[in-house]
Amino acid sequence: MKPLTRYWFGDVALARPYSLVRFVLTMLAFDSWLNLMPHGAKYGVGGFNVAHFPVFGDFIPSAPFYLGVLAFTSVLALSQALYRPHRIALALVAMGYTLGWTCSLLDSVAYHYLVSLYLGCFVFFPMLSARAAFSRSDRAPRGSAWAYVLFCVTTAIVYFYVAAWDAADGEPYWLPMVCSGAYLVASMQDRSDSTAVLVTMPFLGVAPIAFHWLTPTESWFPIYMIGIAVLVFAPARWIHVAGRTLTFPARNWLQDQSEVGIDERASQVFYASLAGLVTAPVVSMFVDLPGVKTGCALTAIAMLFVIGRQLYLTPKRRPLWRVVSLFGGCLALWITMATSTARFDYYRSGAIDADLRGDHDAAALMREKAERYRR
Amino acid sequence: MRSVATEPPPPHPSPKHRRRSGLFIGAFLLLQFLAPLTYLTRNDAADDRFTWRTFSPPSGPACETSASLETFDGRREELALHKMIHRDWVDYVGRNRRVVVEAFLRKQCEAEGVLEVELTNHCEDDSRIREYRLRCGGERSHETTRTAAR
Repeated sequence: MKPLTRYWFGDVALARPYSLVRFVLTMLAFDSWLNLMPHGAKYGVGGFNVAHFPVFGDFIPSAPFYLGVLAFTSVLALSQALYRPHRIALALVAMGYTLGWTCSLLDSVAYHYLVSLYLGCFVFFPMLSARAAFSRSDRAPRGSAWAYVLFCVTTAIVYFYVAAWDAADGEPYWLPMVCSGAYLVASMQDRSDSTAVLVTMPFLGVAPIAFHWLTPTESWFPIYMIGIAVLVFAPARWIHVAGRTLTFPARNWLQDQSEVGIDERASQVFYASLAGLVTAPVVSMFVDLPGVKTGCALTAIAMLFVIGRQLYLTPKRRPLWRVVSLFGGCLALWITMATSTARFDYYRSGAIDADLRGDHDAAALMREKAERYRR
Repeated sequence: MRSVATEPPPPHPSPKHRRRSGLFIGAFLLLQFLAPLTYLTRNDAADDRFTWRTFSPPSGPACETSASLETFDGRREELALHKMIHRDWVDYVGRNRRVVVEAFLRKQCEAEGVLEVELTNHCEDDSRIREYRLRCGGERSHETTRTAAR
């Protein structure tokens, strides 16, 4: 195998791509609910908008549209984190998330662009179950995952440019440059049995952690990057042991046990899944934010599309677990909204803005809702 | 008895699959390398999207903004920006973000009887006044910069 081929297609510990997908998707969901949705009221105000790309033309995203896109993306993302991800679902998450920020310059946060790149990589990650990523023995399963290597190189390019702009501005640039180099070689650590490599890698991982620790921002960007650094640079054995413990229920209790009674079980799964798909979005009715109901209903339709033929061709319970994960996503959205100030912030900022524009009726309605959700 | 066997890892990619993946990898990396470099060719220095120059949300406005329009019958009207668009857009205009300024001026020209729209930014950091003037029907606004009188 040529060195370049070995670099991109060589083995990596499968626990890493497995954990990374779930970590980023979970972060994305809660980041959307707690940090993006509260700012949704500003979309469509005054019928004015400028998108990131001219392709949007004169399209003006309204607050319900923006919140709907966020709800769709985040609930689908969390449902994929909770159960075995599906390539179509991940593609939909990537498209939804990218649509969310590209439709308006109101979202010009740099790391949202990076998350879109990551989601693009995730679409090509191996779709791993817990049983494929973690073994019963101490030896972590390995396999080829070029998209994981691409994920690491993407991160390396980001740090490279951070260092380059710092250098251009005459500022110290060695730390982001070390981060860039570390991510370039990170994917090779699982192919080597050399003690020197195994010992050095975790130390290289300290660089990105230190970088984000020393340059805090108001956003969740440092949390994303520190979490990613831990999953990429920690010894494979640690990730494997932690993952094996966390996925114990998934590997032992949630799997299909037998193939007996195929016809009867297939019909049970079919009706239970359909019922679940219809009722899951109902949870979002309690969220009381414009567009969220539509977003969650679209998530259920997307899930139906993802389940596809499995719904009526398989006796296995996989469709049912997908519906359960959708329920989990909708429930998590509701609980997060009910226990945070996100709704209060949304309605309060909407009321302040409506007052500024002289729309006092809309402001009064918004203020009333804000009072209802004051915590 | 419950099965706790490990599933096999994904198969190694075939040469054909490797070729296709290689093309995707090449295009994806090229995009990532070139996107930040476009900053060097941008006319608008305030536009640093996709460059990794900063990870913080955009800062507050650097300039105080005022706007006015002139109608065909010669009347001049002051525009209250905060009542027309969201304050985040006002901040963008205040940071001389050209694409937003252009969109705002064009939007005002959509009203009936408007001949010309003017937007002025009084910038404290470099003591300059930037004026953008769009004659309705024109393609792009005319920008002038002058130093504020002390």
